[in-house]
Amino acid sequence: MKRKNAIKKKTTRFLTTRNIGLAFLLLLIAAIINPVIGKDTEIAAGTPFWVWSFLGRLHPLVVHFPIGLLVVAWLMELLVWKRKSNDFGPAIRVLMVIGTISSVIAVVFGLLLINTEEYGGDILPVHQWTGIATMVLAAITTYTYFRKSRRMQKLLLTLTVAGVTVAGHYGASLTHGEDYLTSVLPSAQPDVAANQPTFVLANQTGPLNETQVQELNLQIRSIFAHSCTNCHGEAKQKGDLRLDSKEAILKGGEDGPVLVAGDPEKSELIRRIKLPRNHKEAMPSKGKGLTPQEIATIEYWVKQGAPWPTGELKSIFRVAALEPRMPEIPAATGDIVSPVDLFVNDYFKKHKVEWNKKVDDRTYIRRVYLDVIGLVPAADTIDAFINDTRPDKREILVSNLLSRNSDYAQHWLTFWNDALRNDYSGTGYITGGRYDITEWLYSSLRDNKPYNIFVKELISPTEKSKGFIAGIKWRGTINASQRTEMQAAQNVSQVFLGLNLKCASCHNSFVSDWKLEDAYAFANVFADSALEINRCDKPTGKMAPTRMLYKELGEIDSNAVTQDKLKQLAEYLVQPKDGRLYRTLVNRVWAQLMGRGIVEPVDVMDNEPWSQDLLDWLASDFVATGHDVKKLIYKILTSKTYQLPSVGIKEAELIVAPDYVFTGMLRRRLTAEQFTDAVSKAIQPVYGDSAIVYKLLPEDVKTDIRFPRASLVKNDPYLTALGRPNRETVSTSRLSQANLLQALELTNGDRFNNAVKRAAVKWKQEYPDAEKMVTEIYRSTLGRPPASDEESVALKVLGQTPTEAAVQDFLWAMTLHPEFQLIY
Amino acid sequence: MKANWNRRDFIKKSSAATLAALAAGAPVAGLLSGCGKGKKIAANTSADTVILLWLAGGMAHTETFDPKRYTPYENGLEGNRVLSTFKSFPTALDGIQFSDGLQSIGSVMDKGTLIRSYVAADMGHILHSRHQYHWHTCYEPPQTVAAPHIGAWIAKELGPKNQVIPAFIDIGQRMTVGESEELKAFHTAGFLGNEFGPFLIPDPSQGLESVRPPVGMDARRFERRNQLYNDLISKSAIGDLGSDYQKESLKRSMEQAYMLLNSPEAKAFDLSLEPKEVYDVYNTGRFGLGCLLARRLTEQGARFISVTTEYEPFKGFDTHENGHTRMVDMKKMVDGPIAQLVKDLDKSGHLDRTMIIVASEFSRDMMVEGRPDAKVKEQVNQPDILNDMKFYGMHRHFTDGCSILMFGGGIKKGFVYGKTADERPCKTIENPIKIDQIHQTIYHALGIPPDTNYVVEKRPFYTTPDGDGKIAKELLIKV
Repeated sequence: MKRKNAIKKKTTRFLTTRNIGLAFLLLLIAAIINPVIGKDTEIAAGTPFWVWSFLGRLHPLVVHFPIGLLVVAWLMELLVWKRKSNDFGPAIRVLMVIGTISSVIAVVFGLLLINTEEYGGDILPVHQWTGIATMVLAAITTYTYFRKSRRMQKLLLTLTVAGVTVAGHYGASLTHGEDYLTSVLPSAQPDVAANQPTFVLANQTGPLNETQVQELNLQIRSIFAHSCTNCHGEAKQKGDLRLDSKEAILKGGEDGPVLVAGDPEKSELIRRIKLPRNHKEAMPSKGKGLTPQEIATIEYWVKQGAPWPTGELKSIFRVAALEPRMPEIPAATGDIVSPVDLFVNDYFKKHKVEWNKKVDDRTYIRRVYLDVIGLVPAADTIDAFINDTRPDKREILVSNLLSRNSDYAQHWLTFWNDALRNDYSGTGYITGGRYDITEWLYSSLRDNKPYNIFVKELISPTEKSKGFIAGIKWRGTINASQRTEMQAAQNVSQVFLGLNLKCASCHNSFVSDWKLEDAYAFANVFADSALEINRCDKPTGKMAPTRMLYKELGEIDSNAVTQDKLKQLAEYLVQPKDGRLYRTLVNRVWAQLMGRGIVEPVDVMDNEPWSQDLLDWLASDFVATGHDVKKLIYKILTSKTYQLPSVGIKEAELIVAPDYVFTGMLRRRLTAEQFTDAVSKAIQPVYGDSAIVYKLLPEDVKTDIRFPRASLVKNDPYLTALGRPNRETVSTSRLSQANLLQALELTNGDRFNNAVKRAAVKWKQEYPDAEKMVTEIYRSTLGRPPASDEESVALKVLGQTPTEAAVQDFLWAMTLHPEFQLIY
Repeated sequence: MKANWNRRDFIKKSSAATLAALAAGAPVAGLLSGCGKGKKIAANTSADTVILLWLAGGMAHTETFDPKRYTPYENGLEGNRVLSTFKSFPTALDGIQFSDGLQSIGSVMDKGTLIRSYVAADMGHILHSRHQYHWHTCYEPPQTVAAPHIGAWIAKELGPKNQVIPAFIDIGQRMTVGESEELKAFHTAGFLGNEFGPFLIPDPSQGLESVRPPVGMDARRFERRNQLYNDLISKSAIGDLGSDYQKESLKRSMEQAYMLLNSPEAKAFDLSLEPKEVYDVYNTGRFGLGCLLARRLTEQGARFISVTTEYEPFKGFDTHENGHTRMVDMKKMVDGPIAQLVKDLDKSGHLDRTMIIVASEFSRDMMVEGRPDAKVKEQVNQPDILNDMKFYGMHRHFTDGCSILMFGGGIKKGFVYGKTADERPCKTIENPIKIDQIHQTIYHALGIPPDTNYVVEKRPFYTTPDGDGKIAKELLIKV
């Protein structure tokens, strides 16, 4: 007993005097160092003093003391949990004291570590504070072991251990990565192959049937493609081994075959993938190892004799059907009658979405004006529409807008200029390496040229439409993957087929089944003489054949002159059986009108649509009704679906998230051109007549143009800031988000602020009465009179007799108003 | 640590913006999900700010930082005999000579590194803007996606150093000159999105105009206007539209713009606040004043600044004739300001964390167009025998040996790297260095990992082609 007390006394003294003092001293040092080092990194000085870095790096070592000791203390306590007397008392006390001291040291070193190295992220503060909290808890617990009741001791010790666990978990997440643990769970396997194999390993007995062979093989190829072929594929052949085809796999590498069919034990490949990750022969040698499931699958496959299906292999990527499909239209129910709505209704039922009420007239007319002709409606027009009592006034409105051919052309010109990368100025023109197609494009849109003819004229062009496939040629020698024939192949496939050939024009694609040879073969259609295949800009000595991307569509005569090859290609591409061409188009138009495509991104048509039926029906109907884009627009704009309230999205990335559920049109920002035209119409023309590129437009265009629209002027810093792309490359969607450069341009840029300044002069003259002016400006910009508190804010600034400056500022604020800037 | 938090904070916010593009299906994408690798800015960076001093138009190395045997002009002189049209003088570095007229720069060479072995790309028949595109983006045009300018990459990865100073500032290049479309093609953030694009200040003496309220608007009115804007929004029914990213981003951007235009830092753009004697040292024209503006902005926390002598076909360093006489003027334009910038930043301590790079798209030679082993179509009428002073100079475009100067931000002091031949062709014969190495060295100093990339249209697009660029460790004090 005496002895026990002596130990107790000794430890107590040790704890209370020297050690606590020491701990606080250390903490104090840390607190002082903290800002000093922080400042260093912030201002100028170079690397921190090496001693701090060194001690900081000891943190991961030191933390294991408190983790181990405190947990052991707790385990000991568990053993005597129910007992009154604590036989382990002195031992626990020693453990606690050392554990606490080491936790203080760990915290100090940890603080040093984050100050000397660039740690960051969301986990760090959690780890830091749970760590510190645990240290404090440990100290208190230790104290209770010398003073307080056992219940308190047990409770606090348990809390401390919980703290250690939490802090330790976050610390490990920082060191090893957040997914260190979860990544090995079966649910977290990376989703590389969009085309998920359905073959299930379990429950499989007896020989495999053909479908099972196909599925198993698909799994194997998916694993190889994700984890192996970067080094053992087309680009690199480490150890002379390729794992991207049956022949290559069976052939093996420089040391002979890598697998013995039917005998996993003797297969080198199996041995290597099963080695511990730190073994120098372990495969894959870089990155993560294969998962146990993947290894089991490969083993099973080898055991089964490494079967390879005969005939066509199923793709490991999702590949959309080429041929058109006309799904059956669901039966009409209630007031849901149009095919678009019926397909959406089906979709809503499946996803438990309720139909919302249609938007009001004011919202609807603003939407369709902006979507059909790119302009905001005048206030009187809005009022008249609201007062119109005809039941089909919305349909009539859309028809009327669609028949305003010039306005329609001037709006849609922007979209097609982006997509066909046609611009009035840009690279290439200076050395005669580029042709514009403005005149042709403008007339085609004004005439609502059927889409099949539109495509044909771009691919098998006249002098006026040759600019699209001619590409952009810079002076000098250019990368083989950017020769104009290859540009044509890439642009035609992207714009018309929603297909990315850019990877394959340099090497076999890693993200689709398109091969280098496919890209060259397609490029050859545009070439006067056969092209030599270059891999990653290095000649291979192999000449490419000539063929379409989809051989089902037809065969190109490789001996024909280019002109004839292009004619053939154009004919083949626009055939009704090329469902992809029309799906791509209807999806683009849908995305323009609804803020998001049925398939996203709109250039990746192999992705899964949110409604296959809707997409297929729209495409088939489009062909059946004469390839008429306006009819397509009409069908969408008059649907109940389009008339649903707009949907706001918190984070832009949610739009393309895999679990996206369609519930209505997404709110959009006006494009650079829509915004500029809205300002031009509502308050004052932004551009003068002289800015219009008359020379590039049809001769009779003068009568078409009611005011200088932004789609008809050359790009400038103002339009660039607002998001007009430089049309060097195909661009099929615009950013819908504001940024600083944009805001600066609008806040003090000349182009915009001068227009507002001119407007102020005009408005002040026209409306000497401030109240009347506020009402009219509200009507002109937002299409509605001001609410009373809006009016009083405005009048407070304007005063009874507004100055020009005050009017200018008011106009400025109104045009930057979110209600003015959004399509909602 | 504070700095890191801010930076990360900012990157998080700004990446939301670029993700919008992803959402819209635009050719912008998130980080490549490399096998479980988190994004980690490397430890031990040596620079926070980069100043690129761009001597546009092709500056002859033999007339500037790598002079060869001097041959004075005389009628009937054989062109092939002429390597340099200036005498040379000894610099602050032992045994290193510069061409006459660069005495000021020569005197600060103990503070930086001289590279004499830059090898430009061979892209056939030469177009300046194409080589400039390559220098600034590391990619040869045309490309299937719009390649970002090095300044845009840095803006994207690190964000602004001071929140109210745009991260990427471009001083001195007007976009209205010949080849302007080609110039615009690389003065862009490309697929990274407008947000990271250049803040253009064509005329540094007008720099303030870009960051203050519109002409004729005093501070009080500017304040009032902003207040009105906020009041009108708060009173409107727009709240019914709920919160979404477009509206939020618009409001946030407007606030940022207001902050910048109203901030004390905006004064950095005002060159008239500079003492006259300092102003005069820099005032050799727009380039010199650009250097002064760069200095002021660096002191206030700029991230990336480019200052150029401006490219305009056949002007400036683009000497197709009268090469010698033109060089006399060009040297006057650049010598004082560059040296002064180095000295000033050194004195104020900023040079430690600021990397200055002096470069040009390629070099020039009197006889060789392109490179010795791959001559390209000639563009200059250069007679073999000189009978007129206007033919005396380096008029052909030479891509096989160029000089680059680098100072500060972790770059070695008083160091010379590489060598060109002493006889024509004066091409690189030791330690050739290419653009991807230059870029990676800059990125490394800033802590941007060499494999930084984004997935665009499903393909990774790296800071340097295929992410293969190697850091030129020899140039750095500490790797």
